[in-house]
Amino acid sequence: MSARTRTRLTLWRTGRLLLILGFLAAPEVAGAQQLNLTISPLIVTFPTTDPDTAPVLSAAPVTVEYRVRGNGNRPWLLTVQASGDLVSGQSRIPVSAVTWAATPAPPFRAGTMSSTQAQTLASGNGNANPTATGTVTFRLTNSWTYDAGIYLQTLTFTLSTP
Amino acid sequence: MHTALVTSAVMLLAAVAIEAQRGTALLLVNLPAQARLSFSATSVTYPDADPTTTPLVASVPVSITITVRARVQRNSQVTLTVQSTDDLRSGVTVLPASLMTWTVTGPGFAGGTLSRSAPQLVGRWTGSGVRVGTQSYRFENRWTHPTGTYSATLVYTLASP
Repeated sequence: MSARTRTRLTLWRTGRLLLILGFLAAPEVAGAQQLNLTISPLIVTFPTTDPDTAPVLSAAPVTVEYRVRGNGNRPWLLTVQASGDLVSGQSRIPVSAVTWAATPAPPFRAGTMSSTQAQTLASGNGNANPTATGTVTFRLTNSWTYDAGIYLQTLTFTLSTP
Repeated sequence: MHTALVTSAVMLLAAVAIEAQRGTALLLVNLPAQARLSFSATSVTYPDADPTTTPLVASVPVSITITVRARVQRNSQVTLTVQSTDDLRSGVTVLPASLMTWTVTGPGFAGGTLSRSAPQLVGRWTGSGVRVGTQSYRFENRWTHPTGTYSATLVYTLASP
């Protein structure tokens, strides 16, 4: 048997082994870990007060419901990330102007929004069962330098067991 | 093909090992056009003076600090104008509003002469922001002015088309 043939055979065997392990592992892990995440409301609206009256605009609180089951003692992580800056046509407001306060702390924590890296909103170990609830209040630093307009951006919340 | 199988198996394992749930929300910020104009003083007076020695009388206070705050559409123009509602009047005696002139400091601010017939430019800027400057009024003093206490009301208008 040539060296090349032996290598191919080894790869084939390894592949089969990993494939079998994969199929075996998949139902076990998927069945053991169950994550649920609900965000409400789905639209976070800031009031339209001028910067002198309200240097910081506070949106109505967002409720985050999360549930972690079958996680053993492993950590879980809830992050939030913007898809970009706040956009209104050609006008932009840096998404870093958006911050948040969150309760209960822990597991929730305050933070500053980013579009380049997911920011930790909450973290813990083990399970969160039954469903736990957190409240997040997003804030926008208000400024006269912003262009007038209707700005939009998407936030993605991710609950994971890294 | 064998390598592909190995890769597929590894990816499958990775997929089941990283469990995640996602949710999205939409950030919505409505910033309407807004403007605010403020003055350090809302009235000025001119003390009595000899026209020979003081042909141009400075107002008291000497200058007014004007703060212009404007939030407008991207690259829109912002203008500040002033217009007298009438000439300077003391009973039935009238002096032309154009006897009052002003000088300014601050980016975008402009000096000028008061008019009762048309708004006169005090400042012009582009886009949103806060602009601060001063305006100093002077009154042209002449021996021919009849004695009296004259007054006029000035209207400032901050606008963005």
